[in-house]
Amino acid sequence: MNENQSFDDRLMEAAGSLETEVTPERDLWPEIQSVIATPSRSRRNTLFAQAAAIVLLVGASSGITYLAMNKQMQYVTPPPPNGLNVEHASFGDNYMLGPEYQDARNGLKAQFDEGLESMTPRERADVLKNLEAIRSVIEEINRALANDPENALLQELLLSTYQEELSLMMKIDNVANAMNRTDF
Amino acid sequence: MIKKFLTLASLGLISTTAVAEDVNKRIDASANGVVSISNVSGSIEVSGWSRNEVEVTGTLGDDVEELIFERDGDEVEIKVKGPKRGSHDISSDLVVKIPEKSSVEIAGVSADIDIQSVHGSQQLHTVSGDVDSEVYSTDIEITTVSGDVELQGDDEITRAELESVSGDIEAQNLAGEVTAHSVTGDVTVVNSNFERVRLETVNGDIIFDADLANDGSFGLETINGDVDIDFNDSISARFDIETFNGDISNCFGPEPVRTSQYTPGRELKFTEGDGDGRVSIQTLNGDLRLCKD
Repeated sequence: MNENQSFDDRLMEAAGSLETEVTPERDLWPEIQSVIATPSRSRRNTLFAQAAAIVLLVGASSGITYLAMNKQMQYVTPPPPNGLNVEHASFGDNYMLGPEYQDARNGLKAQFDEGLESMTPRERADVLKNLEAIRSVIEEINRALANDPENALLQELLLSTYQEELSLMMKIDNVANAMNRTDF
Repeated sequence: MIKKFLTLASLGLISTTAVAEDVNKRIDASANGVVSISNVSGSIEVSGWSRNEVEVTGTLGDDVEELIFERDGDEVEIKVKGPKRGSHDISSDLVVKIPEKSSVEIAGVSADIDIQSVHGSQQLHTVSGDVDSEVYSTDIEITTVSGDVELQGDDEITRAELESVSGDIEAQNLAGEVTAHSVTGDVTVVNSNFERVRLETVNGDIIFDADLANDGSFGLETINGDVDIDFNDSISARFDIETFNGDISNCFGPEPVRTSQYTPGRELKFTEGDGDGRVSIQTLNGDLRLCKD
């Protein structure tokens, strides 16, 4: 790459090397989808669902960047209703992370809620405060993206923050599992 | 007399509740096995010694049902077991000595963890406790939710993964690889020399005052925190730095430029030395200060 190229030009050059057709996410991840569609209480499937949630986020990122940098307003999923809603994993005004992400997140949420219940009120409050901080950041970045939808930095930071949310939920679940709650 | 005692006890006139119990046990162990410790509440102190034995001393909570302390091959398990339901006092303070080459795996909830002179790998997990450890030429993984992390290395190659949610992370005298991540805590890494670095916070500041190998990789991301980077020695890397709404101050190399005339963002991209390594920094709202010695 020529160091004298602008950042946008270099990203466009990189995006141009990607496949020209963006395959829908359902076709890309059939095995992961089957695990997510049939949630299991077993730890092994929980791990797969957790891993799938992270993979779906990572997998989504290059597709989102490609679409943005090629200045094509192709929706990854149908556009969100008026008013941003973090629960729908908004990605600025024009994009939204796919339903597979929602399924994976919902699968994590059940174990996360269980982990929260096993904590003291003070511990629970601390976790929820941090979760709220992460969600505030998601809203803030979404607002900025609404004004600057093709900003690659914002897109990357937003995906990273969605990963933070999932990572926190996984952490609570992992700590509870590590303790083997039948101890007490 | 005994009949009178039992009658009074049954009327609740004499307390028959459990009391805290001192513990002092020892068991033979492998010189470089694994010691697993599980304590829901209290504290866990572990130190390495030259004996091929594991010793547990300390105090168990009033309502602890049992301290499991057993060996299975190369693994020794220490577990504080309490009642399944209800509010009970199971807070226990454990002081454990293990063969210094052992690996240790610790799980707690409301428990502080303190490790000294353990030369095997470490996996330390707690929810609302602080973790303080030393690492010697091996892997270490520390996770806490509401506690601080402090890690002291011996300047030998290691791989350290340090995570807190609302606590601060401080690490020094490390070498090799480090990943440090906090949501609302600060991350400070000093007096170290790395091949790979990954530092992340959401609402915390990051301070890095250490060396990066010539072909090293340095990645940093923060949303609402300030960043202060000082490369102690010569640095040879391609720099790719971008902020959305923060200032960039660079004491060497070029000045940052605006990414767009319509947004407040700045970027700084340049090559220092031969450009063998890579330094990638992204912030949303934090200011960045970059310097080298």
